Amino acid sequence: MKYRKLRFKPLDGVLVALLVAAAFFLVHRVGTEMQYHWQWPVILQYLIRVDGERWVTGALAQGFLMTVKLSLWATVLAMCLGTLIGLLRVSYGLFQRLVAGSYVELVRNLPPLVLVFIVYFFIGERIMALFGVENLIRAASPETQDLLSRLFAPPARLPGFFAGLATLVFYEAAYIAEIVRAGIQSIERGQWEAAHALGLSRTQQLRFVILPQAFRRMLPSLAGQLISTIKDSAIVSVISIPELTFQGLELMSATYLTFEVWITITVLYFLLTFTCSLGVKRLENVWQK
Amino acid sequence: MKRINCWIGLLLAAAITFGAVMQASAQTPQGAAESMLEQVMKRGVLRVGMSTFVPWAMQDKAGNFIGFEIDVANRVAQDMGVKAEFIPTKWSGIIPALLTGKFDIIIGGMGIRPERNLKVNFSIPYDHTGMSLVAHKKVAAGFKKLGDFNSPGVSIAARTGTTAAAAAKQWMPKAKLRLFDDESQAIQELLLGRIHAVVASAPLPAFQAIANPDRLFLPLKEDFTREPIGFAVRKGDPDALNFLDNWIRVTEAEGWLKERKRYWFESKDWEKLLK
Repeated sequence: MKYRKLRFKPLDGVLVALLVAAAFFLVHRVGTEMQYHWQWPVILQYLIRVDGERWVTGALAQGFLMTVKLSLWATVLAMCLGTLIGLLRVSYGLFQRLVAGSYVELVRNLPPLVLVFIVYFFIGERIMALFGVENLIRAASPETQDLLSRLFAPPARLPGFFAGLATLVFYEAAYIAEIVRAGIQSIERGQWEAAHALGLSRTQQLRFVILPQAFRRMLPSLAGQLISTIKDSAIVSVISIPELTFQGLELMSATYLTFEVWITITVLYFLLTFTCSLGVKRLENVWQK
Repeated sequence: MKRINCWIGLLLAAAITFGAVMQASAQTPQGAAESMLEQVMKRGVLRVGMSTFVPWAMQDKAGNFIGFEIDVANRVAQDMGVKAEFIPTKWSGIIPALLTGKFDIIIGGMGIRPERNLKVNFSIPYDHTGMSLVAHKKVAAGFKKLGDFNSPGVSIAARTGTTAAAAAKQWMPKAKLRLFDDESQAIQELLLGRIHAVVASAPLPAFQAIANPDRLFLPLKEDFTREPIGFAVRKGDPDALNFLDNWIRVTEAEGWLKERKRYWFESKDWEKLLK
């Protein structure tokens, strides 16, 4: 299909001018009606500033990095759990289907906020106390602790980080399981039958024939799920994980720069998710060829 | 028949999981029989639960914690020969977090209240604070005493779960109380003139009135309550309480507490660390 080339018409110009005017009006209203004193230059130092001679990250930039780490780990782990549950959803055993089905329905029908608290106060705490996770971390060598803080979070914040991560993994895995199930079920019957005719066992059929094809179809949705994970990661701010939203809230209660901080947070989240979604679009184009 | 078997299997699995969780929860977190003091010394780290309250505890530009409570916590840790580690927690959930063992102690300007004391143990007070009120110049024009605010047409804001919210309810029962997650949101609402006043621990209202002289004012000359502030620890640990009580007696006698309090509450030298 050929697209008509888009041209910039006078009407478009008027619309752009109107939008710009509306934005200015809004800022003006905030400044005059609400008598808000904008203090934009102050914000910069919460992103990056010079400490002596070195450049160091500020509170917001640290939160941003934490959000990236949290989302990446959550996506990777949720992909593993989600694939497993997705496979159970399409297995022949009724028991497996029931277990996977109950999981998906339970998690998808709970508000993520409730899930965060359940994991943080009940499940996470008990399980981590059971294995003595915290003492293990403290007893670890400085190198291990350094590695842990690079990969996840500083030792002091690790138990909370794991609880938040677990919540995100449980939550996203339910959606990924559905993507995997749909991907597998979208493969034509003929492929199964042909694989069966070749004498492959069910595991082999899945591994060599069905999954490679299904995976290609699933990739765009899976990449989209990464973007969802970034957005969902904001909810773990309620259990005091120092990610972007939490750092922003802390900063606001210390400095009262409500508007500047919220706008900065919005821009940072948007930059992150928009870059991802451009990447996904490019991937889709590559795979379609 | 097969289907029934499956249901039985599911039920069994659920029962086993439930049993495991219950058994796990029956074990007290990290052995409460052992005093908090010993656990902390063994770990080498005192985990302190706190929440941002300017100027009690806040983050500076570099993301380090500063404030009166932070100084106190660092000194407690130093006197125990360990390091303090701060775990910022939402104020409304800070007691449950202490009880589930997320940290060892709350050092966050927590007012000693009977209903809180039913759940946690408090040390003797190391500080006193009072509730104060900051009001909007136009919306609350002519309001001079607490009684003026105690009428159905007035709305007051405070932070969720704080003694400020309790004081507002007690002293201005007729006014409409609106709760916010932190003071900055409440102050924002006040600056917009959507509410009449904000109740918070002194000196926050006074600082806000100074920062926004064109819109806010202090209707009351003095704080309208006086509240003792103590450390909160889990119940059933007399050793920790004894240590903390005596720590307070010693630092009070030294004049250290008073000196720190003057720095954070009467000077504003620390403001340059913040912005």
